Amino acid sequence: MLTFVDEETLRKVAEVVGSEDAIKVIEILKDSNEITDDEIANKTEIRLNTVRKILYKLYDHSLVSLRRSRDENTGWFIFHWKLQPDQLEGFILNQKRRVLEKLQTRLNYEKSHDFYYCHTPGCKRVPFEEAMELVFRCPTCTKPLMHFDNSKIIEILNKKVEQLRKELGE
Amino acid sequence: MPKRNDLEHKALSHIANTGGDGILQSDLWRQLGASSREGSRVALKLENKGLIRREKELCEGRWTYRLYPKRKPASINSIADCPCLTCAENLRCGSWGATSPNDCEKLTEWILQQSGIVGMSPQGDS
Repeated sequence: MLTFVDEETLRKVAEVVGSEDAIKVIEILKDSNEITDDEIANKTEIRLNTVRKILYKLYDHSLVSLRRSRDENTGWFIFHWKLQPDQLEGFILNQKRRVLEKLQTRLNYEKSHDFYYCHTPGCKRVPFEEAMELVFRCPTCTKPLMHFDNSKIIEILNKKVEQLRKELGE
Repeated sequence: MPKRNDLEHKALSHIANTGGDGILQSDLWRQLGASSREGSRVALKLENKGLIRREKELCEGRWTYRLYPKRKPASINSIADCPCLTCAENLRCGSWGATSPNDCEKLTEWILQQSGIVGMSPQGDS
Protein backbone atom coordinates (compact mmCIF):
# COMPACT_ATOMS: atom_id res chain seq x y z
CA MET A 1 0.00 0.00 0.00
CA LEU A 2 1.28 3.46 -0.82
CA THR A 3 1.34 5.74 2.19
CA PHE A 4 2.20 9.34 2.84
CA VAL A 5 4.85 10.16 5.37
CA ASP A 6 6.83 13.33 4.99
CA GLU A 7 10.48 13.70 5.90
CA GLU A 8 9.82 15.81 8.96
CA THR A 9 7.58 13.09 10.39
CA LEU A 10 10.22 10.50 9.61
CA ARG A 11 12.76 12.55 11.56
CA LYS A 12 10.40 12.95 14.52
CA VAL A 13 9.70 9.22 14.59
CA ALA A 14 13.44 8.58 14.61
CA GLU A 15 13.72 10.96 17.56
CA VAL A 16 11.01 9.06 19.40
CA VAL A 17 12.56 5.67 18.73
CA GLY A 18 16.12 6.65 19.45
CA SER A 19 18.34 9.63 19.70
CA GLU A 20 20.28 11.95 17.39
CA ASP A 21 22.03 8.84 16.12
CA ALA A 22 18.74 7.23 15.13
CA ILE A 23 18.00 10.25 12.93
CA LYS A 24 21.31 9.77 11.11
CA VAL A 25 20.64 6.04 10.66
CA ILE A 26 17.15 6.71 9.27
CA GLU A 27 18.54 9.34 6.89
CA ILE A 28 20.95 6.74 5.46
CA LEU A 29 18.28 4.03 5.30
CA LYS A 30 15.91 6.39 3.53
CA ASP A 31 18.37 7.02 0.72
CA SER A 32 19.36 3.42 0.15
CA ASN A 33 17.42 0.45 -1.00
CA GLU A 34 19.19 -2.13 1.17
CA ILE A 35 22.21 -1.54 3.34
CA THR A 36 24.30 -3.46 5.89
CA ASP A 37 24.92 -2.29 9.47
CA ASP A 38 28.62 -2.04 8.65
CA GLU A 39 27.98 0.35 5.78
CA ILE A 40 25.70 2.48 7.96
CA ALA A 41 28.38 2.68 10.66
CA ASN A 42 30.96 3.77 8.07
CA LYS A 43 28.71 6.40 6.54
CA THR A 44 27.48 7.90 9.81
CA GLU A 45 30.65 7.36 11.86
CA ILE A 46 28.49 5.97 14.66
CA ARG A 47 29.87 2.95 16.54
CA LEU A 48 28.76 -0.35 15.02
CA ASN A 49 27.14 -1.64 18.21
CA THR A 50 25.14 1.60 18.57
CA VAL A 51 23.99 1.29 14.95
CA ARG A 52 22.90 -2.29 15.63
CA LYS A 53 21.03 -1.27 18.79
CA ILE A 54 19.13 1.41 16.84
CA LEU A 55 18.38 -1.01 14.00
CA TYR A 56 17.00 -3.63 16.40
CA LYS A 57 14.85 -0.98 18.06
CA LEU A 58 13.50 0.08 14.68
CA TYR A 59 12.99 -3.60 13.83
CA ASP A 60 10.96 -4.07 17.05
CA HIS A 61 8.55 -1.47 15.73
CA SER A 62 8.62 -3.04 12.21
CA LEU A 63 10.02 0.20 10.80
CA VAL A 64 12.83 -1.70 9.09
CA SER A 65 13.01 -5.16 7.59
CA LEU A 66 16.08 -7.38 7.38
CA ARG A 67 17.47 -10.02 5.06
CA ARG A 68 20.24 -12.37 6.11
CA SER A 69 22.98 -13.71 3.88
CA ARG A 70 26.17 -15.63 4.60
CA ASP A 71 29.64 -14.27 3.91
CA GLU A 72 31.30 -16.80 1.61
CA ASN A 73 34.76 -16.24 3.07
CA THR A 74 34.10 -16.05 6.80
CA GLY A 75 30.83 -17.95 6.98
CA TRP A 76 29.37 -15.15 9.13
CA PHE A 77 25.91 -13.78 8.65
CA ILE A 78 25.50 -10.39 6.98
CA PHE A 79 22.35 -8.44 7.78
CA HIS A 80 20.84 -6.27 5.06
CA TRP A 81 18.46 -3.61 6.37
CA LYS A 82 15.69 -1.79 4.56
CA LEU A 83 13.38 1.00 5.68
CA GLN A 84 9.67 0.15 5.60
CA PRO A 85 8.01 3.54 5.20
CA ASP A 86 4.60 1.93 4.80
CA GLN A 87 4.79 0.78 8.44
CA LEU A 88 5.30 4.32 9.73
CA GLU A 89 1.66 5.23 9.64
CA GLY A 90 0.80 2.15 11.74
CA PHE A 91 3.57 3.00 14.19
CA ILE A 92 2.27 6.57 14.60
CA LEU A 93 -1.29 5.34 15.11
CA ASN A 94 -0.14 2.83 17.74
CA GLN A 95 1.74 5.52 19.64
CA LYS A 96 -1.29 7.81 19.51
CA ARG A 97 -3.50 5.01 20.86
CA ARG A 98 -1.02 4.44 23.69
CA VAL A 99 -0.93 8.13 24.66
CA LEU A 100 -4.71 8.37 24.36
CA GLU A 101 -5.11 5.46 26.79
CA LYS A 102 -2.88 7.18 29.34
CA LEU A 103 -4.60 10.54 28.97
CA GLN A 104 -7.98 8.87 29.33
CA THR A 105 -6.82 7.14 32.55
CA ARG A 106 -5.56 10.47 33.86
CA LEU A 107 -8.76 12.28 32.89
CA ASN A 108 -10.92 9.73 34.74
CA TYR A 109 -8.69 10.10 37.79
CA GLU A 110 -8.86 13.91 37.72
CA LYS A 111 -12.65 13.82 37.32
CA SER A 112 -13.24 11.37 40.13
CA HIS A 113 -11.00 12.95 42.78
CA ASP A 114 -10.86 16.11 44.84
CA PHE A 115 -7.34 17.36 45.41
CA TYR A 116 -5.62 19.19 48.22
CA TYR A 117 -2.36 21.08 47.89
CA CYS A 118 -0.09 23.22 50.06
CA HIS A 119 0.84 25.48 47.11
CA THR A 120 4.56 24.97 47.78
CA PRO A 121 6.57 24.38 44.59
CA GLY A 122 8.03 20.87 44.63
CA CYS A 123 5.32 19.42 46.90
CA LYS A 124 2.70 17.00 45.58
CA ARG A 125 -1.03 17.48 45.68
CA VAL A 126 -2.94 14.70 47.42
CA PRO A 127 -6.45 13.33 46.90
CA PHE A 128 -9.10 14.03 49.54
CA GLU A 129 -8.92 10.54 51.15
CA GLU A 130 -5.18 10.86 51.68
CA ALA A 131 -5.50 14.48 52.88
CA MET A 132 -7.96 13.26 55.54
CA GLU A 133 -5.45 10.72 56.82
CA LEU A 134 -2.78 13.43 56.88
CA VAL A 135 -5.12 15.73 58.86
CA PHE A 136 -4.74 18.23 56.00
CA ARG A 137 -1.03 18.81 56.57
CA CYS A 138 1.45 18.46 53.71
CA PRO A 139 3.62 15.37 54.38
CA THR A 140 6.63 17.16 52.86
CA CYS A 141 6.54 20.73 54.22
CA THR A 142 3.82 20.35 56.93
CA LYS A 143 1.99 23.45 55.66
CA PRO A 144 -1.84 23.21 55.71
CA LEU A 145 -3.41 21.58 52.65
CA MET A 146 -5.97 23.69 50.77
CA HIS A 147 -8.50 22.60 48.19
CA PHE A 148 -6.98 22.55 44.68
CA ASP A 149 -9.03 23.40 41.60
CA ASN A 150 -8.11 20.96 38.83
CA SER A 151 -10.68 22.21 36.31
CA LYS A 152 -7.92 23.60 34.05
CA ILE A 153 -6.18 20.22 33.89
CA ILE A 154 -9.52 18.53 33.12
CA GLU A 155 -10.25 21.07 30.39
CA ILE A 156 -6.86 20.55 28.70
CA LEU A 157 -7.15 16.77 29.00
CA ASN A 158 -10.63 16.80 27.49
CA LYS A 159 -9.35 18.81 24.52
CA LYS A 160 -6.33 16.58 23.97
CA VAL A 161 -8.33 13.36 24.26
CA GLU A 162 -10.86 14.73 21.78
CA GLN A 163 -8.07 15.75 19.37
CA LEU A 164 -6.40 12.34 19.50
CA ARG A 165 -9.75 10.56 19.06
CA LYS A 166 -10.42 12.67 15.98
CA GLU A 167 -6.98 11.92 14.55
CA LEU A 168 -7.52 8.21 15.17
CA GLY A 169 -10.98 8.38 13.62
CA GLU A 170 -12.68 7.03 16.76
CA MET B 1 14.30 1.97 -16.26
CA PRO B 2 13.07 2.12 -12.64
CA LYS B 3 10.28 -0.26 -11.67
CA ARG B 4 6.84 1.35 -11.90
CA ASN B 5 5.98 0.66 -8.26
CA ASP B 6 9.28 2.15 -7.04
CA LEU B 7 8.63 5.18 -9.16
CA GLU B 8 5.12 5.51 -7.74
CA HIS B 9 6.53 5.37 -4.21
CA LYS B 10 9.21 7.94 -4.96
CA ALA B 11 6.81 10.24 -6.79
CA LEU B 12 4.28 10.02 -3.99
CA SER B 13 6.85 10.78 -1.33
CA HIS B 14 8.10 13.78 -3.38
CA ILE B 15 4.58 15.10 -3.81
CA ALA B 16 3.80 14.54 -0.11
CA ASN B 17 6.86 16.57 0.85
CA THR B 18 5.74 19.59 -1.19
CA GLY B 19 2.93 20.20 1.30
CA GLY B 20 0.26 22.57 0.02
CA ASP B 21 2.41 24.08 -2.78
CA GLY B 22 2.32 21.05 -5.03
CA ILE B 23 4.92 20.33 -7.69
CA LEU B 24 4.95 20.69 -11.47
CA GLN B 25 4.72 17.30 -13.17
CA SER B 26 7.59 18.22 -15.49
CA ASP B 27 9.85 19.19 -12.53
CA LEU B 28 9.04 16.01 -10.68
CA TRP B 29 10.14 13.69 -13.52
CA ARG B 30 13.34 15.62 -13.96
CA GLN B 31 14.09 15.18 -10.24
CA LEU B 32 13.27 11.48 -10.36
CA GLY B 33 15.21 10.85 -13.56
CA ALA B 34 12.20 9.42 -15.36
CA SER B 35 10.85 10.20 -18.82
CA SER B 36 7.76 12.36 -19.26
CA ARG B 37 5.95 9.38 -20.73
CA GLU B 38 6.58 7.26 -17.61
CA GLY B 39 5.87 10.30 -15.50
CA SER B 40 2.46 11.16 -16.81
CA ARG B 41 1.43 7.50 -16.59
CA VAL B 42 2.45 7.27 -12.95
CA ALA B 43 0.73 10.59 -12.16
CA LEU B 44 -2.46 9.31 -13.74
CA LYS B 45 -2.20 6.10 -11.77
CA LEU B 46 -1.70 7.97 -8.48
CA GLU B 47 -4.68 10.19 -9.32
CA ASN B 48 -6.85 7.16 -10.07
CA LYS B 49 -5.85 5.67 -6.73
CA GLY B 50 -7.10 8.85 -5.08
CA LEU B 51 -3.69 9.71 -3.66
CA ILE B 52 -3.00 12.94 -5.56
CA ARG B 53 -4.87 15.75 -7.30
CA ARG B 54 -3.75 17.14 -10.71
CA GLU B 55 -4.40 20.70 -11.80
CA LYS B 56 -3.67 21.98 -15.32
CA GLU B 57 -1.15 24.82 -15.39
CA LEU B 58 0.54 26.83 -18.15
CA CYS B 59 4.30 26.87 -17.65
CA GLU B 60 6.69 28.55 -20.12
CA GLY B 61 4.06 28.40 -22.85
CA ARG B 62 3.37 24.69 -22.38
CA TRP B 63 0.55 23.00 -20.57
CA THR B 64 1.56 20.77 -17.73
CA TYR B 65 0.03 19.64 -14.47
CA ARG B 66 0.69 20.65 -10.90
CA LEU B 67 0.44 17.70 -8.54
CA TYR B 68 -0.89 18.05 -5.00
CA PRO B 69 -1.12 15.41 -2.25
CA LYS B 70 -4.74 14.52 -1.56
CA ARG B 71 -4.37 12.86 1.81
CA LYS B 72 -2.67 14.54 4.69
CA PRO B 73 0.58 12.77 5.60
CA ALA B 74 0.50 10.79 8.84
CA SER B 75 1.68 13.20 11.48
CA ILE B 76 3.11 12.61 14.92
CA ASN B 77 3.00 16.32 15.83
CA SER B 78 0.17 16.07 18.36
CA ILE B 79 2.16 13.69 20.58
CA ALA B 80 5.76 14.26 19.43
CA ASP B 81 6.91 15.81 22.72
CA CYS B 82 4.76 13.63 25.01
CA PRO B 83 7.04 12.09 27.66
CA CYS B 84 5.16 8.74 27.46
CA LEU B 85 6.70 8.04 24.04
CA THR B 86 10.21 7.71 25.36
CA CYS B 87 9.44 6.76 28.97
CA ALA B 88 11.46 3.82 30.26
CA GLU B 89 8.64 3.00 32.71
CA ASN B 90 6.12 2.49 29.92
CA LEU B 91 5.57 -1.23 30.47
CA ARG B 92 5.08 -0.72 34.21
CA CYS B 93 2.87 2.34 33.80
CA GLY B 94 -0.86 2.14 34.47
CA SER B 95 -3.42 3.08 37.08
CA TRP B 96 -2.68 -0.29 38.78
CA GLY B 97 1.10 0.09 38.90
CA ALA B 98 3.76 1.85 40.92
CA THR B 99 4.19 4.26 38.01
CA SER B 100 0.91 5.73 36.98
CA PRO B 101 -0.27 8.44 34.56
CA ASN B 102 -2.37 9.70 37.49
CA ASP B 103 0.52 11.22 39.39
CA CYS B 104 3.30 11.36 36.79
CA GLU B 105 4.91 14.77 37.07
CA LYS B 106 6.40 14.69 33.58
CA LEU B 107 2.96 14.02 32.15
CA THR B 108 1.41 16.83 34.23
CA GLU B 109 4.02 19.22 32.93
CA TRP B 110 3.30 18.18 29.35
CA ILE B 111 -0.46 18.54 29.86
CA LEU B 112 0.02 22.08 31.14
CA GLN B 113 2.31 22.93 28.23
CA GLN B 114 -0.48 21.97 25.84
CA SER B 115 -2.46 25.03 26.82
CA GLY B 116 0.59 27.23 26.48
CA ILE B 117 0.89 27.60 30.23
CA VAL B 118 4.62 27.31 30.70
CA GLY B 119 6.32 28.07 33.99
CA MET B 120 3.40 26.98 36.14
CA SER B 121 4.13 24.60 38.95
CA PRO B 122 3.42 20.99 37.91
CA GLN B 123 0.42 21.06 40.19
CA GLY B 124 -1.16 23.90 38.28
CA ASP B 125 -0.44 26.59 40.82
CA SER B 126 0.44 29.84 39.10
